[in-house]
Amino acid sequence: MKKLILLLVVVFAALVSAQTKPAIPRTADGKPDFSGIWDNPKPPGTNRIPTTFDKAKFPPFKPGGEAFYEPRTGDPRHDEPRAFCMPSGFPSAFLGPYPVQMVQNAKYLVMMTEFMRVTRIIPLDGRPHQADIEPTFYGDPVGKWEGDTLVIDTTHFKRWSLDDNYYANPKEYRMHSDAFHTIERLTRVDANTIKYDFTVDDPKIFTAPWTEHWQLTQHPEWEKTGLYEMVCNENNRCPGGQCVKQ
Amino acid sequence: MGKHRQVIALLLLLSGAPVLAHHSAIAEYDLEKPVKVSGTVTRVEWTNPHIWFYVDVKNPDGTVTNWGFSGGAPGVLQRRGISRTSMKIGDQVVVQGYRAKDGSSNGSGDTVTFPDGRRVFTAMEGLKAQP
Repeated sequence: MKKLILLLVVVFAALVSAQTKPAIPRTADGKPDFSGIWDNPKPPGTNRIPTTFDKAKFPPFKPGGEAFYEPRTGDPRHDEPRAFCMPSGFPSAFLGPYPVQMVQNAKYLVMMTEFMRVTRIIPLDGRPHQADIEPTFYGDPVGKWEGDTLVIDTTHFKRWSLDDNYYANPKEYRMHSDAFHTIERLTRVDANTIKYDFTVDDPKIFTAPWTEHWQLTQHPEWEKTGLYEMVCNENNRCPGGQCVKQ
Repeated sequence: MGKHRQVIALLLLLSGAPVLAHHSAIAEYDLEKPVKVSGTVTRVEWTNPHIWFYVDVKNPDGTVTNWGFSGGAPGVLQRRGISRTSMKIGDQVVVQGYRAKDGSSNGSGDTVTFPDGRRVFTAMEGLKAQP
């Protein structure tokens, strides 16, 4: 009898749990569907756009980690090449005040930010990273499912700008190394919200990784126009402070 | 760092936003040199990475200088309800912003005020002209 009561309690608890779990869109294969247009990542409950990483969270440097701060030369082509429409790199391009559209099927998640239309195509079949590939500005992302959480692991980056700290403090230009590694964990917690945990790992610079806890908010009303075009070289009149008259 | 610049840096830190979309504002504009002009709109370029608009400004000696101002990215502005028709050739405007570092008659056009008092922020959030 006790066993029967225990079983009933367990079944009841499971039913309650299933009913209180928020309904989220799912793809045909039953996975959470992240498709939609989302605002850029923000810390929950804030309107802050995390274009820079908080120095207070940085773990101690490893020996040689000072290479993180690239010395300034006075030459804008070196000091902020992105002002000449060079790539922002990952994650910087995805952290500005621009929406991100996601399109998903069973094989891939496509993430595209309006900013310069940067596109990441993330395989979802759990494959390992490619071997012997060239490092890139946006890295090699691979995805795998842990229950309803999508884990995206990205490696094979070029040494490049970590964030937009230059605009707060031009003397501390932050460059991640070619060992830069990010882990994103996306969990769709309700119809319009993704919990977005972002782990920064750079074993050539820092003694430990650290994680930012952000969220993405869906904006169905932006679907009407979709992402706007954003071509940096169309009319970049003042590259590096040298304005070109009309 | 002057007081004015400190205010801007604080605004940037608080907002966490890049001042202009394609990573350029500090590279291009001198936040120590705010500018405020009034005049007539002569042209609007609704282009990326930032819109540009041009204003004929009468100088005290009677000559006219055509100033060029940049604003936010067209897409960001459109999502905020500012369209290419928000500012037309011939409109009288007061523009506040910051001068280009190269000393030319270019600047960031952070706020545009029309004669009826309507104000349009054309820059990205985070960089707002100081009075």
